[in-house]
Amino acid sequence: MASLGELERAVMDRLWSAGGALSAADLRDGLADRGLALTTVHTVLTRLEQKGFVVHDEERPRRFTARASREEHAAELMREVLGQAGNRQAALARFVGSVSADEVGMLRQLLAEHAGAGVDEPPAG
Amino acid sequence: MLPATAVALGVLAALLAWPVPVALARAGWPRRDPLTALLCWQAIGLAGGLSMIGALLVHGLAPWGHSLPEAWWRWVTREPAQEAVRGDHWVAQTLAAVLALELLGVLLLSSVRTARTRRRHRELLELVVRPGGPAGETLLLEHPAPVAFCIPGARPLLVLSSGMLAELDDAQLAAVIAHERAHLAERHHLLLLPFVAWRAALPVLPAAGRAHDAVRDLVEMRADDVALGSLSGPDPRRTLAVAIVAAAGGSSGQVPDGALAITGGSVAVRVRRLLAPADPLPPGARGAALAGAVALLLVPTLLLLLPAVA
Repeated sequence: MASLGELERAVMDRLWSAGGALSAADLRDGLADRGLALTTVHTVLTRLEQKGFVVHDEERPRRFTARASREEHAAELMREVLGQAGNRQAALARFVGSVSADEVGMLRQLLAEHAGAGVDEPPAG
Repeated sequence: MLPATAVALGVLAALLAWPVPVALARAGWPRRDPLTALLCWQAIGLAGGLSMIGALLVHGLAPWGHSLPEAWWRWVTREPAQEAVRGDHWVAQTLAAVLALELLGVLLLSSVRTARTRRRHRELLELVVRPGGPAGETLLLEHPAPVAFCIPGARPLLVLSSGMLAELDDAQLAAVIAHERAHLAERHHLLLLPFVAWRAALPVLPAAGRAHDAVRDLVEMRADDVALGSLSGPDPRRTLAVAIVAAAGGSSGQVPDGALAITGGSVAVRVRRLLAPADPLPPGARGAALAGAVALLLVPTLLLLLPAVA
């Protein structure tokens, strides 16, 4: 039995590759190898709508589209991760916070000053 | 009347609201022993709140009894005061209630907000990411910027970007993962949470902001220290330092020059203490700091519980 999270991803993959709106029945048929009931597809779609990943139109039957592409969602996440909104910073622990180019230059100089023999240098970037 | 107790608590609250956090934020020893310093910060935060609210409460309830538990009980059971109740007693009571509600309310609000943001991040991650980073439980996010982060919580997630994988070698990646794992294992987000909340609750208190920044930086240093303990290789300190600089360098395009505010030079402090480590704090100094932290918690607690000093 596939987990709900995995089903959500499978449905999103379908919607992304379809390039247009799909009805719940289309999705069920497209995922025929999983043998899903129509109610299961609806449950998954409702969850995806609540999360803001999917929108539906007013046709009968309803047809569903992905709100944004996978890349756009990844970019949205990265904006939040890299973003400077102070309150958001508490939600996750970043390895290194954002620094300015000036500070990066200073950090590289620090590494060079303490360079030991035969130790690799950071890649230039 | 309990004037001496209220005054003592008030003095303690004033010390913990300004000079003590400023001194600890400026001190050099915390970066030699981040864990001890983190414990001291927790004690300062807790004792500060306790003495601030306690001072107001002790003064406000003074007409009802000679010790706070006694006066509190009489007040709660609506017994009449033994001495005249003046306006300043009511003001102190009200302020104590407002302050207690604000501190706890903001803490709660801050936790709820953070939990909501984490859930949103988790949902986005599950959507855009497939498992399969270098270590089993890490997630790989397709993005050119070298970024690593973890989302703490009941179901913690550790995320690496493809840019990070491209930028670092295996030993450096292991260092990054060990650092993030240390955050999760030691629940660093819980150490930071009260300071995030109090910075929001007390914006008029500059020390609250300083305390938050100091704790945030110490948590990073502590994670570096823990990571070093689990790394093999000829020079783990340098490996971790190189990883930090590479991660900082790759994401620098995102931040305009002069926008140092977010790290305030703390990345340089981390790199410097990795490359040129200071001696660890001697056991005596460490013991003194911990004893100070315990005393900070005991003094207001005892002042509140024991009968008033006449």
